[in-house]
Amino acid sequence: MSKTAISVDHVARIEGHGDIRLVIENGEVTSCELAVVEPARLFESMVRGRRFEEVPYIASRVCGICSSSHVVTDLRAIEQAFGVEVSDRTRALRELLVYGSYLQNHATHLFVFAAPDFLGHKSVFPLADANPELFDDALSLKALGNELCTKVGGRSIHPITAVVGGFTHEISSGEYLELAEKLEAAQPFALAAVDLFNDFDVVDVQTEGDMLAMVAPGAYPVIDSDTARFVRSGVEFDAARVDEAVEEYAVGHSAAFCARVRATGAPYMTAALARINASWNELSRTARFAAAKAGLRPPEYNPFANNVAQAVEIVDALERCAALCRRLAEPAGAAFAGSSEPVAFEVRAGRGVGFTEAPRGALFHELELDDDGRVLRASIMTPTAQNIANLEADMRQLAGKLVSAGESQEVIQLEVEKLVRAYDPCLSCSVH
Amino acid sequence: MPRVVFVGLASCFGCQINITNAEAHLVDVLGQIDLRYWQLTHSEPMPEEFDVAVVEGAVTTEEAVSTLLEVRRRASAVISIGACAATAGIPGMAAEGYLTRPVQVYGEHVPEACGTMCAPRPVSSVIDVDFEVACCPVDPLEFVRVLQQALYGSNSFRRTSTLCGECKRNERGCFYGRETLCLGMVTRSGCGARCPNLGRPCNGCAGLSPDANVPAARRVCERSGVPVARFDEALEMFNQTNPAISA
Repeated sequence: MSKTAISVDHVARIEGHGDIRLVIENGEVTSCELAVVEPARLFESMVRGRRFEEVPYIASRVCGICSSSHVVTDLRAIEQAFGVEVSDRTRALRELLVYGSYLQNHATHLFVFAAPDFLGHKSVFPLADANPELFDDALSLKALGNELCTKVGGRSIHPITAVVGGFTHEISSGEYLELAEKLEAAQPFALAAVDLFNDFDVVDVQTEGDMLAMVAPGAYPVIDSDTARFVRSGVEFDAARVDEAVEEYAVGHSAAFCARVRATGAPYMTAALARINASWNELSRTARFAAAKAGLRPPEYNPFANNVAQAVEIVDALERCAALCRRLAEPAGAAFAGSSEPVAFEVRAGRGVGFTEAPRGALFHELELDDDGRVLRASIMTPTAQNIANLEADMRQLAGKLVSAGESQEVIQLEVEKLVRAYDPCLSCSVH
Repeated sequence: MPRVVFVGLASCFGCQINITNAEAHLVDVLGQIDLRYWQLTHSEPMPEEFDVAVVEGAVTTEEAVSTLLEVRRRASAVISIGACAATAGIPGMAAEGYLTRPVQVYGEHVPEACGTMCAPRPVSSVIDVDFEVACCPVDPLEFVRVLQQALYGSNSFRRTSTLCGECKRNERGCFYGRETLCLGMVTRSGCGARCPNLGRPCNGCAGLSPDANVPAARRVCERSGVPVARFDEALEMFNQTNPAISA
């Protein structure tokens, strides 16, 4: 009778507080949990009774990394409830804002959080000494994402300018062109990053759960579709009916809700990898070629491939954002109809479900407002909350495989931590 | 070399992330300190000994109270960063009727992982805080300035004036002329009126200024066609736990 317990308090280099609890008895993984111990701030309760103008501002504070996504998702929910149509220009700016957070999030995750694992370091700082050029390029890419958010949203975290109906401020044409040039100049490093992460060895694990991503015909959508698709089963649903497609449930060891497909009870993953599986054909040509070269083609169900998927998305985002900036630089009305000035609207009672692809996956905000525009009910479902159950299933599979291969406790612990980091969890988001 | 630790309580992590956004200066700043524990970037446990503790987030659990007492016992200086730590910030909005709220979110069975929850409050309500960096999120360069102050000392005092003065010098006009609520009249200055500069009224993330004249600000609202009730409600966003406004 042998019993091994692997326990990691406060997994490092992820956003938020989480512990790994793994028990192996007689060569079998008998228990496997990611304990999410992030303090609950109770956002859904906090916003009850608050006026709609304040709600995106408050919701932004769910998460410091994906604040742009929380704002845009909340704005979509409110606009749906009020029946507000925003201009194409506003949509383009929102896309830039969300993509800015992709660049910042993916660069931080890949180089600050994930890369040290594969390079044998405990933190990112030895990387600065060992490979200063890589470190500088990685920081520059992260800085570029922040600059994009700052130029569009007013600052890199918790955007200021994005409000119901539009934007309170825009930069000049010259600044858009300057951004486009910087984005284009970052492409060689982004392509090199795909190769770098492709070179890292990962254990062969095939997730058994499904994958979920936003889809739209002929597009790689991140903010502009209401259709979500389970990649494996092919089942699609409208975001307004997310509660019929997805079941949230509470478990004792997690302050975050977990989620599963309501129809089958199966867990699922939502992430860059799910998006690439769902919309591979719609990646930019450069990004699709980079993905193909790295061997990332759908269907890809190894969750470790989420690292390469994020690197591919950086390539894709740089190209898309540069093109958007060039169009935004054109004279008013030339490339985009209408201005980004907030449109007029009437406050009315209603329900809206905002849906976007945040850097880490599908994000849903449901709001019910009364006729004074005050929140009656709010529900936020973040990518990480949706991922926890699937991550635990993958952790169990990975640990079982390593135990069978006779690997040491140290190896099992490191590989399981690497898997957790590959999901790029945001635990403060997941608990909110 | 001074030994520095970072501790995160209930927050969005945005302030810590924003500090890493001082990209160009990051390595310069870190070169001056021995960064003992930064969970965001390291896989080492929190050390026994250190000189400066940087605390982000509001206190929302008994476990956080114990952590802070331990941090205070070991650190010679404590810097609290961001609105959550300074005023309980956005988490503080849930302070009223706090113990009825977990059930609203989780239903009857609140997960044990939530810990022993207590009404959100600022770090300074639990331990003495030596330095504070305001705003939601903190400005990374302002953090660097305060860190330098904690490490090397300085005679400068914290500003107590309100944002309005700063904003007027930017000559962008006033929201009150447009019947629009803005909290600049009562909020601590220091950010350069970042939001009003971009066309958005101040939401008060730096917290109430000690110089604020709240009754006078309410009279301005009345005169300008902004309902006083809206002003009071907006103040709750970052000052829910401040005794000065509940009066």
